[in-house]
Amino acid sequence: MAEFECRLKKYRQLKGLTQEQLAVQVGVRRETIMRLEKAQYNPSLKLAVDISRAVEAPIEEIFIFP
Amino acid sequence: MKKNKLKFWIGGGIFCAAALLASIWYAVTFNDSRLVVPVDLGSYTFTPKDLPMILSVLLTCGYVLALFIPRCFGIRKRKETVERTNTTRKLNPKLGLLGLLGFLGFLGFWSYPARGDVTPFAFFLFFGLFGFFYEGKMSGTFMDERFRENAARAQLTAYKITFSIILAALIILSQGKLFGSLEYTLIATMIVLSIALALGIFLPAYLLYRYDHDDPMDEDEE
Repeated sequence: MAEFECRLKKYRQLKGLTQEQLAVQVGVRRETIMRLEKAQYNPSLKLAVDISRAVEAPIEEIFIFP
Repeated sequence: MKKNKLKFWIGGGIFCAAALLASIWYAVTFNDSRLVVPVDLGSYTFTPKDLPMILSVLLTCGYVLALFIPRCFGIRKRKETVERTNTTRKLNPKLGLLGLLGFLGFLGFWSYPARGDVTPFAFFLFFGLFGFFYEGKMSGTFMDERFRENAARAQLTAYKITFSIILAALIILSQGKLFGSLEYTLIATMIVLSIALALGIFLPAYLLYRYDHDDPMDEDEE
């Protein structure tokens, strides 16, 4: 799996969303959000876009690939 | 199944079995065992004394059909629910105990020398049903993209392991006669294939559970 940095937690908290709320909003399980925040799961393009829209932050600022 | 319904079906089953046993007793005692021992249907002529046997068999067949046809529709309905709700099927982890049926495979070590029958070895395949234990633990889980990815990964790993075992076993067994006998070689092949296929049934469920649960995550919820 590609190494990357994930700043989802920061943007999610800025938006005032819980992991559960974000998970429901983007149609995944809470465990998936938890693994995403720890950069342990590389999301599909669709999920990345959905998350970017949900937290209203640019996709390249949430998922940072070296 | 509700308790009353369960009682009804158990009662019905007992009644059918009792009716069948009674009609067999009647046929053996008063009807020269007609329809109990094999009958040549070409020369068969109906006599009123055959009625108890015919009725009890029809009743039992009706009971079996009434018991299983709704179950078949139930399976279809559950499949539709799984597709609609995008969750895994509901399954009781206790069904994993069906894997114990795999031990029936050891009967082959008795049946082969005694009767030359090797089919019991195929029962080793049932060891794969232990996978229901892990599938049951994950029943009703929402299937998001990570879950589907893990499921595909688990399936692929299981296939790789299964085919590797089969290939390795076939290479070893094809080298020559095991214990100097072709028969034993073929029996060993059957056992290995049954166990490898059982592994192919068990592993996807087990690996999916591991992939989904193994990494301990912070359960922090903000």
